Amino acid sequence: MNRDELITYLTEKFKDKIELLDTGRAEPFFLIKRENLVEFCREIKSDLKLEMDYLCNIGAVDTGERFEIVYDVASVENNIRFDFKLVMEYEGAEIDSVREIWPAANWYEREMWELYGINIKNHPNLKRFLLPDDWNQGNPMLKSWDAPDFIRMPEELQ
Amino acid sequence: MTEGLRTEEFQVNMGPHHPSTHGVCRFILTMDGEVIISAEPVIGYLHRALEKICENRTYVQCIPVMDRFEYCTSMSCNQVFALATEKLAGMEVSERAEYLRVIMLELNRIASHLIWYGTTALDLGALTPFLWAFREREDVLDLFEMTCGQRLTYNYIRIGGVARDIPPEFIPKCMEFLDKFDAKVDDYEAILTENPIFVARNKDIGVLTPEMAVAYGVSGPSLRASGVRHDLRKDDPYSIYDRFKFNIPVRHNGDCLDRYYIRIQEMRESAKIVRQAIEQMPKEGDVTKRISANFKPPKGEVYSRIENSRGEMGVYVQSTGDTKKPLRVKMRGGSYNQLQVMPELVKGHKIADVVAIMASLDIIMPEVDR
Repeated sequence: MNRDELITYLTEKFKDKIELLDTGRAEPFFLIKRENLVEFCREIKSDLKLEMDYLCNIGAVDTGERFEIVYDVASVENNIRFDFKLVMEYEGAEIDSVREIWPAANWYEREMWELYGINIKNHPNLKRFLLPDDWNQGNPMLKSWDAPDFIRMPEELQ
Repeated sequence: MTEGLRTEEFQVNMGPHHPSTHGVCRFILTMDGEVIISAEPVIGYLHRALEKICENRTYVQCIPVMDRFEYCTSMSCNQVFALATEKLAGMEVSERAEYLRVIMLELNRIASHLIWYGTTALDLGALTPFLWAFREREDVLDLFEMTCGQRLTYNYIRIGGVARDIPPEFIPKCMEFLDKFDAKVDDYEAILTENPIFVARNKDIGVLTPEMAVAYGVSGPSLRASGVRHDLRKDDPYSIYDRFKFNIPVRHNGDCLDRYYIRIQEMRESAKIVRQAIEQMPKEGDVTKRISANFKPPKGEVYSRIENSRGEMGVYVQSTGDTKKPLRVKMRGGSYNQLQVMPELVKGHKIADVVAIMASLDIIMPEVDR
């Protein structure tokens, strides 16, 4: 399946649950709704035309206005790759765990919980991960995070 | 006499300062006598917040930060970030620069596999292979040093090209290394492959099934040792990898010994690629690209991935289009997933096998902690 076929297939299959973004520069990039996450993931993994059995990466993004969670998935079987993301407000930031679908998600989600403070539903092991055990300075990957010795790039250089 | 005896579960802390953990990693092992019931990796000792640092740097300044991501193969780290930025900005790379990149990436893969070979043997109690491997690695590092002045963190592959052209003595030196390297790999095999102690320590230890490997996102040689033919150089070719002839070694048992075989074979294949690249490379041409101090890629996001010596190395970059710094850089390294699957592999084995399994998965901690 090439890029165009993949886009057609996915948009026809998921219709209004999925939206193609123009920000994707290489592989197609889709936007899905937060409430459809688990269903969508299960569907793309079990569909024999796709079989997205390989989770490359999950990354949270703090845009300064809201959160975006980016999933990069691939299929070893069919050699397909695409990305999708969901957006949510800071208030009540919470997503469902996809660990049951891809066990690899476990640590990515734990990291997201620790560094961004995004709650992961149905995750059994949300405890200190990358930061020191006695860390008490909040979620350091947030754009609003600050510390006395943290120096930002000056405005005029940005 | 055994009637009154009972065993109690107890916990053993392995690491963080254990020489076989290749960095600083701690395992909490729950033991029943000598047998491991469960293991829990504790990580974060090497966390340097590289992703946060990248958010506060310009794109060009991110390249040396990427060097520290996985310092055994800094070239790959440079390459994956340069690739992502080039995709974002729609940049072309000159022909000669692409060849130079491939030469450096493959030499770096050889150097990285040599570290793995040496330390694996060292972890299992053999000192000679370590000295041999570092002798050849030295030759590769000399090549890097004459190219970019650095031996570990190269900052050589830049956005749009490479930092500078190779000096004239590079090609003869490199050919000299390649000519003797195959015989050296024969030596490596002669001392370990048939060694009964080494085989006993590795055969049927830490068996990773193909289903589990894919589910946990294991990639690279560890995935191919489980019988999955998947190599991004062939399956999702980046740079100019589609122009070279090379084999992808695959084994089917998924144990430590198979992971060993795969990496040994890969060193030979990498040497083949370097040889072809040197032959095909255009004799001259521009290799650098001047990046303006005001470089701002247009709004967009991309996840680029390459085949590193430890598996899939990827980076997700998002650009807002109106600043010189990336909004988000998320790094993904092969070791992260390999370490995540380790508790499954060590169950039912003994502590000494943890060392063998960790060595065979080729985990290094900077890539896990970032």
